[in-house]
Order: sequence, then structure tokens, then C-alpha cells
Amino acid sequence: MQTTSKAQKFLKSKTFILLILLAMEVVVFTVLSQGLYINIINIRNILNSIVITAFLTVGAVLLMVRGYVDISASAVGCFTTMMVASLLAAGIPWPLAIIFCLLASAVVGCVNAILITKCGFQPFIVTMAMAQVLKGLQYIIFGTNPIAIKDPTMVALGTHRIAGLIPYTLILALICIAIYGFILSKTYFGKSIYMIGGNPQAANLAGLNPKRMAYILFINDSALAGLAGCLLAFRLKSGALDSITNGQFTGMTGAILGGVSFGGGTGGMFGAFIGMLVISAFKTGLTLLAVPAWWMTFGSGALLLFALAFDHFASFRRTKS
Amino acid sequence: MNGSFIKRITRNKAFSLAIIMFAVWIIFFLLNHNYFVGENFTGIMNTSSLSGTIAIGLACLMMSGSIDLSAGAEGCFGGVLVALFLRTGMNWILALLLTILCGVVMGLINAFWVNAMKLMPFISTIAMSSIYQAMAVIVTKSSEIAIGEGPFTRLGTGHIGIFPLPFIIMVILMVIYGLMLNYTKFGRRLILCGGNRTAARLAGINHQKITTIMFANCGAISALAGAILAARMNNGGPRAVLGAEMDAMTAAIIGGVSFLGGGTSGMGTIFVALLLVNSFNNGLQVIKVNSFWQFVTRGGLLILALIVDYFRESRRQKALKQGAKV
Amino acid sequence: MTEVNTSVNTDRNAGGKGMALEVDNISKSFPGVKALQNVSFRAEPGKVLALLGENGAGKSTLLKVLSGDIKPDEGEVRIGGVPQKFDAPVQAIQAGISVIYQERQLVPSMSVLENIYCGDLPATKAGFLKKKEMRQTAERIIQEFGLEIDPFEKLGRLSTAHQQMVEIMKAYRRDSQIIAFDEPTASLTDKEVTILFDLIQRLKEQGKIILYVSHRLAEIFQITDEIVVLKDGRMVKQLKTAETNEAELIKAMVGRDIGDTYSSLKRNDKMGDVLLEVNNLTTDAVHDVSFKLRRGEIVGFAGLVGAGRTEVVRAIFGADPIISGEVILDGEKVNFKHPKDAIDAGIALCPEDRKEQGLIRFRSVQDNVCLPVFKKMRKGLILDRKKQEALTEKAVEKYSIRTPTFEKLVVELSGGNQQKVILGRWTSELLTTKLLILDEPTKGIDVGTKAEIYQILCDLAREGKGVIFISSELPEVINIADTIIVMHNGHITGTLAREDATEEKVMSLAMLD
Repeated sequence: MQTTSKAQKFLKSKTFILLILLAMEVVVFTVLSQGLYINIINIRNILNSIVITAFLTVGAVLLMVRGYVDISASAVGCFTTMMVASLLAAGIPWPLAIIFCLLASAVVGCVNAILITKCGFQPFIVTMAMAQVLKGLQYIIFGTNPIAIKDPTMVALGTHRIAGLIPYTLILALICIAIYGFILSKTYFGKSIYMIGGNPQAANLAGLNPKRMAYILFINDSALAGLAGCLLAFRLKSGALDSITNGQFTGMTGAILGGVSFGGGTGGMFGAFIGMLVISAFKTGLTLLAVPAWWMTFGSGALLLFALAFDHFASFRRTKS
Repeated sequence: MNGSFIKRITRNKAFSLAIIMFAVWIIFFLLNHNYFVGENFTGIMNTSSLSGTIAIGLACLMMSGSIDLSAGAEGCFGGVLVALFLRTGMNWILALLLTILCGVVMGLINAFWVNAMKLMPFISTIAMSSIYQAMAVIVTKSSEIAIGEGPFTRLGTGHIGIFPLPFIIMVILMVIYGLMLNYTKFGRRLILCGGNRTAARLAGINHQKITTIMFANCGAISALAGAILAARMNNGGPRAVLGAEMDAMTAAIIGGVSFLGGGTSGMGTIFVALLLVNSFNNGLQVIKVNSFWQFVTRGGLLILALIVDYFRESRRQKALKQGAKV
Repeated sequence: MTEVNTSVNTDRNAGGKGMALEVDNISKSFPGVKALQNVSFRAEPGKVLALLGENGAGKSTLLKVLSGDIKPDEGEVRIGGVPQKFDAPVQAIQAGISVIYQERQLVPSMSVLENIYCGDLPATKAGFLKKKEMRQTAERIIQEFGLEIDPFEKLGRLSTAHQQMVEIMKAYRRDSQIIAFDEPTASLTDKEVTILFDLIQRLKEQGKIILYVSHRLAEIFQITDEIVVLKDGRMVKQLKTAETNEAELIKAMVGRDIGDTYSSLKRNDKMGDVLLEVNNLTTDAVHDVSFKLRRGEIVGFAGLVGAGRTEVVRAIFGADPIISGEVILDGEKVNFKHPKDAIDAGIALCPEDRKEQGLIRFRSVQDNVCLPVFKKMRKGLILDRKKQEALTEKAVEKYSIRTPTFEKLVVELSGGNQQKVILGRWTSELLTTKLLILDEPTKGIDVGTKAEIYQILCDLAREGKGVIFISSELPEVINIADTIIVMHNGHITGTLAREDATEEKVMSLAMLD
């Protein structure tokens, strides 16, 4: 009895619709590309493209469940690609280099959180300004030329694949999604995020601490973006500029598609993961069909609007019923 | 009477901003004596005319209680469109009018998402921003479209005295919009809308109608700004205007317009704030600081403006509370 | 006379002189509440009519109907015999009705002058403002009010009292035939009150109809001619001010069938030692508040909305900062920095605004019950689902919460069940709650559930817990609480034992002028 109702619930859920959408995408792109879409090389590409977005999505989901947003995530990622490359080039051992990068990212998150909780600024505008600041600092500190990464361990981490197909970094990303998914859905901490996101005032009066949560989530989001930047640098074997432009919008779009609302308090990691897959599959499909890069920019904007409208109608239906 | 006049002047925001601006000028002049060269001031006027023109539309929209982060992208598209229209051999006035009309349409699309679909203006205009940017690149196939010398390019390169024409256009527009805001019923209603939506509703003012008009207006002005830039540069580039909306927003906030309504500002204050921002950026260039500092100052100034605004507001609230108790 | 005024909806100030306002059989329901039921009265020109009633009696709803902000379900409003239909507030203004709201509808960043006009600025056909006319009118109005305000000053720089006066000028400027004041003196000082009363007198002499909503009886006797008493959304009676007295009014406002509800309660009769002692507590909103609470005692806080009751308990709970004074719980001096500390020490607060501060509306019943104790449900890394279910089940059974599943979103429950969810949250065995604070727990709840909640309170007291019970409904407080503390304007104005407390006594302490 219980199981049938659960199955029925799943069939009606957003995630199910997204899975169908994903399957349709695969079929359509396979047909359009005359089978190239499910070619091993393309699947590799898809898997590669998921990694960075996955990290950004995870951070964005946590923040959005709380009702916040962080526009500076991809700028943090760009910053750390350069930072990790130049640290390694300076001869600093890789564990330290990564730790420094994460610390730097955490500082950015902390500043965001201070401005948002202490002064009550809009997360949007604060993180947008922060993105600009980081972009400039990155150019000033690291210059504009790509910096090569020669550390063999890190290059291996970035480029090697299990069975020639699945990148190590993807495994890391999946582990990250699994861990955060677990935290969000099963643990006390995850429950607190939902509660605070659902109603910060009520949660505060029930003994939870919304301010501390803001710090944790912003620092977490920045650190994840920083880690994503490092991993990207390892894959590209260099720190390159503008490597993750607007990655956070892909993450955000995926999260919204997967049922995480801007208002906070709803959605989950699994849905967001599927939402992200839908977008990645779409983008790689377009790349494969040799659609020009600027159409992709167009597409990502349109997708974001589509996701927002989708969310709007879904919540509209919910409040109506 | 005399005392209160001086008090009023010193309390005036434009005045305090102007003092800061002079300080900035003097500091940069001391750092590099080339700062006061006439050419350099022409440069400041030219660069500020772009973000300044956009700031007019954006500030009006912000005062009515919304925001458009796609203003820069609308400008890009405007610049590209005017170049494309001119290439067909169209009369330049007609081309300019068509471009502005396209700007209106872009603004209306933004207004549709915000007013009809009830999406957050922040996020939906960011999404539209990437769409407009992409369209600008797509229609130009990612190249710049040259504009032949003619009456249209003179609009961008001409001078009256020492003042570049784009700067004069901006000033004229600021005067017109300043008059609109201060001396017409519509202007005051617009500000009332942003200041207190409930009061506006109770007074029978249609909030959606006003923001829709202001979105369209912001699109039109941004497109015009892009077109003027194209005239100055002799070509329409798909990425020329990007980032100008940040400067425009910063100038508006420094000038006292607050986020999502409530704050108001005269165009004069925005004008001074704009010159301040641009003098600062320009000064950094003149003393040969790495040009990428501009990104940092862009974001940093915005945050600084917000913080100053925050402290001023909280001090005022405190004073108000004490005043009420007495 | 009716023939003259058929185009009332289009002409400004069409409600001409000498016409009466008739409210006929108005009813309005909101989900779960009947805000107004068949209210009818008549207001004559040149008279001041008071609308009097407790909180929730329907005064504000009635004003909103008159101002066109909400549409009544039944009945109509007539001016000079002509029925009025308002689709938007602006139509009511055009018909000559101005309402001055308690919550000021002003823009701090705009000048006084413009706030007086509120968007309705005089302009030429081309849309340009007639600045001279504006300034002259504004100056004339300010002068008529006898205040020294610069019309070009930003409103935000004025004191609260002057801002309130600007709100009144706004309605005065419209020169409406009917002007309604909603508690206008709440934030005024004596000086402005005098000015306001002079003004009302003048308006009266001009033959206008004044509706005056206030809790302050002294004011009502000072300036009104007639009084309409409302209770629970119904009209009790319409009286001539000159022919009545304070006692009669209070009786009309509060008197109702108490029935057997209170007498059938199983009360606690064994009081323990002192549980909570508050000495000279002072915060931003309250001054010098001291009281004691014993184990098993229910202390009721009575007073008007805004008297400072909520602020007292929020300060005790650590939700608002304390400026001076001390709180002693169980013999120990405590100073909670955050509600979490208070919860750990055994205090629970059911806040006044259920929707905004109590519930997480779009989460399940289970989540809402377990909210403060999730931390205690950890089993290793994960949250124990079974424990959550068990706890919820207990709460649902204990308080017979009507919900089909524990997964039901709490927003979909009725008000009474929502309140029981919150009670269940704070009385679970995982918390060591010694002191339960309930702020308006019966607001918007039907009569049957109210009785259940009363019994729950008494049961809590019988278990030896201390209970602080805040309510604006007088019969409730004086019949449930063992000790009644009355607050007015941030101060405690009296403490009564249940045996001595009558509604009249409490009311006069609460309305102390």
C-alpha cells in the first residue's frame, strides 16, 4: 500500500518529468547527429562537462534551499584556476596549494555572508559586485596569460579516466553530490537548512540560528566553487581566464528545473542533479551539432527563463490547490 | 535665512559628492600632472556619456521599484542594430528611431517577465541579458559592423566647444528626465510607486503600468546609448557596452537611488556621482595602474556605496527614533 | 435628493453637503472568520460617530469596506441614499470618503508637500505640475493645522507625531465629505492631539461626517456625538454619547455569553514555589516591568495591542535585547542571548503571529512538531525517522490534531489544528519545558477549539508548569489566568487576582489615559 502510493507520487513528480525530458533529449540529439551523440567520445565530453557544473550546483542548491543566491560562485572558480596554477608553478606542494585555494574561497564566502547578514543587503547585488571585484583581482594578481600546470599527480587527477571513460574528477563530483544529498535529506544539518529556508523567523524562535547558517552556506558555496576551479585547472593542465564564465547560472538553472525554488525551503539534491543533467545534455548536444557558441549563451538565458516559468506555474498550482 | 541656505547646500548630496570629486581630481593631479590635460577630460566626458545615458533609464526604473540588469546588453544590441540599419542605406534618423523602437520592445519583454509572469526582476533580466548579448553576436556573426563617415558618426564624434556631442546629449537627456521626475505628475507618481506601493495603490496608481513604461523607457535609452557609442566608434560592436550597466547602477546608488524603490535622487546628483565614478576610473588609467583595477573598483565602489548608504540610513533611523521620544 | 446625485462615482466629492452615510447590512467573511455580520448604522452630517470595540471586533474591516479596499460579501454603503460600489480605493476617494489608516501610508523619501498630495498632484493638461498652487495649498493646510512644518522637508526627517499629522493632512486636503480616523492619536503627543481635536471640531462645523475609531474612552467622550459599538463582527448598539457612560460602553463592548466553558475547566489548585521572577525589566519598548510566576500558575497579560505584552515575553525569551533589569528562572539569574538558550533552560514561546513566526507553513506537520528537537533525534549521522514519527503521533493523539497524514503541509490545516501543532511542539517529552509562554493562542480560532486550548493550558498548570498567557480577549484572560497583569503603553498598570478581576476593571486599567 505504502509502496504503490510512493510510486504514484514519483510518477507525478517534477523529477520524473525531467527524466522523460532527458530521455527525449538523448533520442532527439542521437537522431539529429546520426548516432554521434551516443558515441564514446561525446559521452566522454558530456561526462567531462558535468564535473564543474556539479560542484556549482551542489553549492547553489544548499544556498537556494535557504533562500539565498550567490552570483560570485563562478568568479571564485575562475580565480582559483589561476591561483592553483600559479601556486603550483611557484613550487608549492599540491595539497598545500589546494588548501590555500579553498581558504581564499572561504574568505570570499565569509565576506559575502557578513555583508548580507550584518548590513542586510540583497544577496544578489552583493555577490554580483563581489564577482566583479574577483574578476579584476584575478587579472591583477595572476596576469592574463595561462599558467601551465606540470605537477604529474594533479594532471593525472584531472585527466585520467577509469576504463578510459569515467574521469576521476567525475567520481569526486558524484561523491560530492551523494554526500551533500545525504546531508540535505537525512541529517540534522540538512533539516535545519530546510527549516530556516522555510521560515527564518519561526526557526529562530525555535532555537535554530539563521545567521550562523548563512555563514556556513556562503563559505561552503565559495569553497565548492574554489574546488571546482582547481579541478578544472587540472583537467585543462593550466590556469586559464574566464574558464567558468556563468557556470553558476547553469547550476542555478539546473536547481530550479529540479524543483528548488527561489523562495527557499523546497527541492532536493536528486532533482537538482537530474535538472543539471538535462541542461548538460542539452548543451553538449548543441555543441555536437556545431551550434555556434553564442547560441549557447542565448540558450542558457532562455533555459533559465524557462526554468523560472516552470517553477512559477508549479508553485502557482500548489498554492491554488 | 542665509544660514539655512548654507545648511541646505551642505546637506545636499550633490554638494558632498562634488567635494569628494574635487578631492579625487586633486589627488590624481598630484600623482600625475597629465590628469588635468584637456584631452583627458574629453576622455572622461566621453566614457561617462555611455554609462550616464544608461543610468538615466536605469535610475528611473529603480526609482519606480524594479531593476534591469540587461541594460548593458540592450545597449550592445542597440549599437549593432543601428549599424545594420545604416548598412542598408537607410536614412540615419530613421535608423536611430528604429533602434530606439527595438529598445522599447526589449524593455517590454523584460516587463512581461516581471509583471505578467511575476518573476524576480533580478534574475529574469540577467537571463534576458544573456539572450540579448547572444542575439547581438548572432546577428553580427561576432564581428564589428563598420559605419561610414556621415551625419550619424558626427553625432558621436562631434564637439560643441570643448564638450563632446555624446556628453551634451546625455546632459540634455538628464535635464529632460530630471524635469520629468520633478515637475510632472507622472514623474512624482513614479517615485510614489517605488516609495510605498500600498499608498500608491490606495491612491489609485497602477504600479504595473508604471513599471512597464519604465522598463520600455530603460530599453529605449540603453539602445540609444549603444547607438551613440557606435557612432563614436564608427562601428557597432556586439560587446561594446557590456559592463556599463554596472557603472550606471553604481552612479545611481551613489547618487541616492536605493534598491527596489524608496530612495530618490535628482538627476543632478546622479550626474555628479557619474563623473565621480568615471574620474576615478580614468585617474587609475592616467597614473598607469593596471587597467584591470577597473573591475575591482567597479565592484568595490558599488559595495562601498551600499555600505555608506546603510550607515547613513541607520543613523537617520536612530535620529528619528530619538526625535520621536522627545 | 437622490435624483440630483446619480453620477456619484465619477464626480469628485460628489457626496455633497447634508447627505448622510448609511451602512446597510454589511457582511464580510474571511476563511475561518466572520469579520462582519449584518452591520448597519447611519452617520449624520455634522456629527462625529465613534466606532468602538475590542481588537478583532471588526472595526478595521469596516473601514476597509468603506475605503473600497475590500468588497463586502453582502450589503451596501449609501451616501445620501445612493448606493455606492467601489472596485478600487480610488473610487471611494472620488465618492468623497477618505480613510486615515493606522499604518501610515507615506513615503519617507518624498517631501511633506508631496505626501500631502499622495500622487494626486495638480497638473496642467500637458502633465506639468502647478508648483505654486501646490505650495500655497500645502502651506495653507499646514497653517490651518497650526504646525511648524516646512512643506519641502523630507517626510522621513519628521517626528512620528508630525508624520501622523501629515497622514491626516492628506485626507484633509481631499476635502472629502466623509473622513474616517483609525486610532489617530496612537502616536501623537498631547500638543498634536489638541490640534487634531480642534480640527475635528472645525470639520464638524463644516457639516462633514467624521468616523472615529479609538480605544481611548476619554477621547470618545470628549469629541464624539454618537457611538456604534461592535463586538465579534456584529453591531451591538448605536448610542448617543451624551446619554451614556463609561461603564455602559465597556459592558456593551465586552459583555457576552460566557456560558459553561470556563466553569467546566479542570483547574490546578496546587501552586508551587516561584519559577520565574522578573525585576525592573526594561527594553526598547517596555519600562520597569516586574512580576512573579509560581509553578502551576497561569499568569495572564491583558492590555491593548501594542501595550508591550509581546515585547516583555520576547525579551524574557532572548529574542529581543534587554537594556536593564533581571530575569530569574528557578532561583538562577539568567540572561539569554538567543532563543536557543531559553529553550535549553526550559522556556517555550508560542508567538503571536502563527503564520509569520510560529509555523513553517510549507513543511509537514511532522517537521513542525519536531522543529526544536531535531537535534535530539540524531542516530549516528542521520535523523531518526521513527523517533520523529513517534513524537508526532504522540502530539497528534494528545491534542487530537485532525490531519490525514503526518506529511500534510501545515498550511493546509485549520487555525485551531495549527495552534495545536505548535502546542505539541513545545510540550513533547524531549523538551524539559518548565515555562510555557502563549501569545494570543486563540486568535482566529473557532469556539470549540478555543475551549480545548483552555483545558490544555489548565492541564499544563496541573503538571506543575508555569504558563504565561497573553490575550486581547478579556473574558479569556480573566477566567483562565490565576493572576492578571494589565499593561498600558509599555508599563504594568495593575495586577489582579482572578477572584477580583472584572472586565470593567481590567479595561479601565488597559485604557488608562
